Amino acid sequence: MPKSKHNISLKQVAGVAMMLAFAFFALLPILWALVLSFRPTSHLFEPIWDSPTVLTFDNFSTLARSDFPFALFNSLVTAGASTLLAMLIGVPAGFALAKGRSHRKFIASWLLLLLRMAPPVGFVIPLFLLYLNIGLIDTWGGLIAAYMVLTLPLVVWSSWTSIAQVPDELIEACLLDGATLFQALKKVVIPAARPGIIATGVLAFLIAWNDFFFALIITRSDTVTAPVAIMNFVSYASVDWGSIALASVALTLPTVPVIIFANKYIVQSMGGAVKG
Amino acid sequence: MSVQTLFQRSYNQMLMPAVLAVGIFAVLPLVGMFGLSFTDFHLIKGWRGEVGLHNFAKLLDDRKFLASINVMLMLSVFGVIFQVVMGTLIAVGVEKIVPKWKFMRGIFVVPFVVPAIAVALIWLSLFTPTLSPINDFFDIFGITVPAFLTTQYGAIVAIVIADTWASFPFVMLLILAALQGISGDLDEAASIDGATKMQIFWRITLPLLKPALLMVALFRFIETLKHFPLIFVMTNGGPGRSTQATNYYAYIQTFQSSNVSYGAAIAVFLFLFAAIISFYVARANARISGA
Repeated sequence: MPKSKHNISLKQVAGVAMMLAFAFFALLPILWALVLSFRPTSHLFEPIWDSPTVLTFDNFSTLARSDFPFALFNSLVTAGASTLLAMLIGVPAGFALAKGRSHRKFIASWLLLLLRMAPPVGFVIPLFLLYLNIGLIDTWGGLIAAYMVLTLPLVVWSSWTSIAQVPDELIEACLLDGATLFQALKKVVIPAARPGIIATGVLAFLIAWNDFFFALIITRSDTVTAPVAIMNFVSYASVDWGSIALASVALTLPTVPVIIFANKYIVQSMGGAVKG
Repeated sequence: MSVQTLFQRSYNQMLMPAVLAVGIFAVLPLVGMFGLSFTDFHLIKGWRGEVGLHNFAKLLDDRKFLASINVMLMLSVFGVIFQVVMGTLIAVGVEKIVPKWKFMRGIFVVPFVVPAIAVALIWLSLFTPTLSPINDFFDIFGITVPAFLTTQYGAIVAIVIADTWASFPFVMLLILAALQGISGDLDEAASIDGATKMQIFWRITLPLLKPALLMVALFRFIETLKHFPLIFVMTNGGPGRSTQATNYYAYIQTFQSSNVSYGAAIAVFLFLFAAIISFYVARANARISGA
């Protein structure tokens, strides 16, 4: 009897150790990015424990003088606008798919999935040629339109899943009071599905905010977004690690609210309704 | 019933803008991609007419293309295995081993929100021997960590590690959601019958998680087919062509070699591949959610 007790506690120790090791793995790159942000160039290539207290704020001024702040602004505008547009168009469609009667729902769900899963390079090649011809390369409009490829299928899909959980009775009661469907959507459905819909918006924004590939192809200097602008700190001659790290941190900060409030709903949005 | 039909028109009106927008922004470019793949268009040399299936015939003879599929599958298969195993272990661990440490959940979500380009650059720094604290640490014990990014398989391992770091939280969140859907009664009943925790995990929890695991693995598999920032930043397809996955090869052909049509043909191949897998995802999802 004592022996089996001992065994269990040993297993528990091993379990906790495993979890701590995973936590270390999860945090190491983040901590490292923070360290690099404040590390002077002169000490960059020596072990951190040789000079842990040597700090610099030079990278802030380097970053401020570069085009990175401007690029952050471009990212904000394009990701924000495409999210807003996708929500305006996508949420009503999600409502219609969730509550309307249709025999094409399976096709719709497959098409939406397919669009989310299709390789971006397939969208980008024709868009690039089209944009070259109609002068949309390096414009906000061009990038916002391109981001609709990423955000719209996601918004329709995930507002569909979250609105599906709103009870029919709630909507029927509203309709019996003489409301139109559009009013019902605004007054009952969206408030009832609010957490899911907010998470949808957050996720759509993140996807556009994080995009590197579309911006790399479609933008030049005028509308360069932050993920592409970071690459300016990498050149064949030298790599400005401090600025890269600080810019990476700056790029990540706006995504932090996700951890705080939305991750539960984001699971539903990303994976569809997964029940065990 | 009649109310339903009355409102069906409104539903259709709500659907219409999305149908139009998806058509214009997403389906039309896809049509363009298919169209281009049957032509010969070079960004500099210009338009040389339709060529039918010529590009696809060329693909079959293209060693670089065939090698790229190999690289793609290696990155995807190993990436998905590591992410799913790790994400599941952590999800179960967070629930069963350290249920009281709520902050652990927060820690494990962190990598999820780091933009892909930042993931790639941070891991590039960690894999740069002169810079990396990992190398410095092992140097203390006189162990020289090999330079991953300059060897063929090392570079693949490096990308798989970076991708695993960025993507295990997604697996964890989905598996956590699935775990919460599993009733605790079964565990209790089994433990009253004398089952150990390990037995409960293997015989009860894991089988119940199977649909969610399948789903999340398929999902991640498709995502890993689209690797771009990691390859672009960490290896640029190299050393040689050892990390040039198919998606990256399509990018190189189109935007560096200017073979637009050929790039489109590669994209068509990728698209069909993703279409088949997403069909299974949609079907699995319809079964699970009963929609």
